[in-house]
Amino acid sequence: MTEEEKQKIKEEESHLPESTAVRMLTPENSRFEETEGGMLNVTVDGYVFERVQVHASFPHSSPRRYISIRTKSNKEVGLIDSLDNFSREQSELLIRQMKIRYFSPNITKIINVKDESGYIHMAVQTDCGECRFTVRGGGGNVINPTENRYIITDVDGNRFIIPDVTKLSPKEYRMIDIYL
Amino acid sequence: MMELNFPLRPKENETAEKVLGGPVEYCVPCDLDMNQKMLKNSYLVIGKNRYAILNDGEVTESRDIGQFRDYQVTPNVGNVIIEARDDSGSLIVCRATMKHAPRYGYIAQILDAKSKNLKEHIFNDEPERRCSKCGRLLVGRSRVCPNCSGRRTAFKKIFRIGSKQIGIVAVATVLAFAVTAISLITPKIQRIMTDKCLDTTNQFIDPDINVFIWCIIGLASCTVVSRMIELIRGRMVSAMAPRIAADLRDTVYRRIQELSLRFLTSQRAGDVMNRITSDTDRICNFIQDLFLQLVHHGILLLFVSGLLFMTDWRMALFVLLPTPIMAYAQMKIWRKVLHRLFRKQFRLDDKTNSYLHDTLGGIRVVKAFGREKREIDRFDAHCKAFADASIKSEWTWSMLIPVSNFIISLSRVMLVYLGASMILEGTLTPGALTEFQSYAALISGPVSWIMGLPRRFADASMSVDRIYSVIDEEPEITNSKEPVAVSIQGDVEFENVTFGYNSYEPVLKNINLSVKKGEMIGLVGHSGAGKSTLINLICRFYDVNDGTLSIDGIDIRKIDMQSLHSQIGVVLQETFLFTGTIFDNIRYARPNATVQEVIAAAKAANAHDFIVSYPDGYDTWVNENGNNFSGGERQRLAIARAILVNPRILILDEATSSLDIDTETLIQEALGRLIKGRTTFAIAHRLSTLRNADRLVVFEKGEIAEIGTHRELMEKKGIYYGLIMAQRQMSRPKENVAVAR
Repeated sequence: MTEEEKQKIKEEESHLPESTAVRMLTPENSRFEETEGGMLNVTVDGYVFERVQVHASFPHSSPRRYISIRTKSNKEVGLIDSLDNFSREQSELLIRQMKIRYFSPNITKIINVKDESGYIHMAVQTDCGECRFTVRGGGGNVINPTENRYIITDVDGNRFIIPDVTKLSPKEYRMIDIYL
Repeated sequence: MMELNFPLRPKENETAEKVLGGPVEYCVPCDLDMNQKMLKNSYLVIGKNRYAILNDGEVTESRDIGQFRDYQVTPNVGNVIIEARDDSGSLIVCRATMKHAPRYGYIAQILDAKSKNLKEHIFNDEPERRCSKCGRLLVGRSRVCPNCSGRRTAFKKIFRIGSKQIGIVAVATVLAFAVTAISLITPKIQRIMTDKCLDTTNQFIDPDINVFIWCIIGLASCTVVSRMIELIRGRMVSAMAPRIAADLRDTVYRRIQELSLRFLTSQRAGDVMNRITSDTDRICNFIQDLFLQLVHHGILLLFVSGLLFMTDWRMALFVLLPTPIMAYAQMKIWRKVLHRLFRKQFRLDDKTNSYLHDTLGGIRVVKAFGREKREIDRFDAHCKAFADASIKSEWTWSMLIPVSNFIISLSRVMLVYLGASMILEGTLTPGALTEFQSYAALISGPVSWIMGLPRRFADASMSVDRIYSVIDEEPEITNSKEPVAVSIQGDVEFENVTFGYNSYEPVLKNINLSVKKGEMIGLVGHSGAGKSTLINLICRFYDVNDGTLSIDGIDIRKIDMQSLHSQIGVVLQETFLFTGTIFDNIRYARPNATVQEVIAAAKAANAHDFIVSYPDGYDTWVNENGNNFSGGERQRLAIARAILVNPRILILDEATSSLDIDTETLIQEALGRLIKGRTTFAIAHRLSTLRNADRLVVFEKGEIAEIGTHRELMEKKGIYYGLIMAQRQMSRPKENVAVAR
């Protein structure tokens, strides 16, 4: 890291709230802008934080609420109470950025499930296209963060979501039931 | 070598070369766009000075690499991006799913090197592991190709396990032949007895009392001899089963010990325990059943079928036909329904076991927060789910057996009807019918056994799968081809070491540190700065991704692991004591140490006095996790253990952080003796405990930020100075408290 960059980080940190304080970001005190290269900058009380990331505090139970805006060094710039408080243009921009951070395709159809030597091989249809992936059996690779919702993490770290397990067809449910 | 130059189709390659102004040096998939769409034919191609994105053969973006700087990979949730920046801001170069995350780690470094006009340096020498048969990429570190393995593989594995007891199996097979032969004689004697002595309808036969007596003697002898052989066979079998189980458990446990921390920490303890205990039992029972019953029932079925057909083919068909039909039906029902139900039952058993392991381990927390009721409810829910699954699977299974037996019984009734009709027609004698019925009864055992075989096999193959998922896992850290056993002096050198638990997320970056033998190094920094990771590398729990870590000038990867670990002593914050005596625990790392050596080590660790004050002295039993000792006592036992090893390199990871001041003084004294003359790496958040360190190394975000003595770093007024000042501030009493005093 060059001296200039260290200086920049120091300056940025001086504009951050105290680590124990919660700074709420509102349309009045903050403005988000997308860079030409597809990254996000935020201006808070006149200071520009470059290349910030959008983290959802409750990505499964309340994806539109308590959105944490964080610097590159993972320090919190501020918290958005609800995306609905912002204008349509600003909230769409934030959702677009959230989609860059989170990629968890929703499984819409289970095509085939094969279990071999401790690994589960799945072929599924998702809202982002057809996928084949492998999940290691055991461990916490299939979890349900909220009732009927399941997250499946494959051996590479990709995440697939079954939004509502009760909406699967009986045949699909039978294929997956033993792993839930 | 990890694939970093995916082949393009000729036309795409031509397009890429044209836009890059030269040959394609690197080509990796970018299988995800910004609109969450997964792309099948999209690539990032890199030439000498330019990069481009090719989507379905079309160039969607092309830039000079030097136009940007600081190329780096950013791992997101379920995807990675390569980003870079210029004076006007940051840019997303490309995006991919996690499948390509490690590749992107290298590609970002290549782009960064090119942007700085440096020669790119690719350090990964690990080949992508492929199946030797079909060439497909293997999953994780498993040696098994899902494409090439199947039921046959499971059967082979079961056979291989059983064949280790081949001697017993061979003798048991011979005995099975003998029992079968005897059981085949019995109906013959019965036939002679019926036709010659008991058939009162046949006026031409004069009942012979001698024949009758000899028949009775023959039947009794057959019963006695066959039961005796069964007894001997039973004893042999009961000796075989535990041997197979022990052998299998040993294999699984041995592999678990060899596997890396990375694998073991990804598994649930209860799950692993189930594999060692329940699964091995299940396999062992199946093998015992298979090797001994298969021969017996097989021979019986074969001979009896032959005899039945020889007697009357129509009656033989009545007896035998339901068997294959029912076996097939059972197999189908098993595959479609029961297999799933039993699998679910096993998984719920694993879950319950893991839950128990978890809560019993944290029982103090449960009690401290008064959450007993919640935990009871959760356990109830686990038990209920398991019971429900068991009831469902056993209920379905129990339906299957009576139905099968009913069909077989029905065939017997038909047999009696057919036999009686034939007697009335005069084409069959009553003795022949008796003989026939005896043979039919004889094969009822093999028939039932064969019908139950699919379930038993599926049951065992499930356990085989679970066990072999551990056995087939390749250990990540192994000895090199020609490991060197060295007597370590204690010089440790880190040269440009980069390491991350995921190669695309480095935790330590470009570490250069030279430690002389006997030097004490204090490792300082915030949580997550990389201190414990550095220690994990010295212990060789993981291998570096880049650079070299050497001990006495020898690359750590070339040193024999047994030799290395026997010369490294570790004292951790959470001391682990095993169930056993105090003496066993101190002697754990050096089992051949003498009693005098153990006592000397305990004395040096300030542990001897408290040990002998216990009623059982060194024979005091240590409970699980050492729960019957205080934190300070456990710590001193751990130090005694480390002293006994006489390590050349000593690692103290927060060794005194959980202790009160009086105990800490005792332990500091003990540690002072322990570190004398040894290369020591000590981590402590309470910085005062590192005051004796020869040098302090301050870590920040995976890099070495400062190195020097306490005085030098205080004068520098950098990070270390800041940490010291913050701690002094915290330890200062509050003003109102001071006034009150």
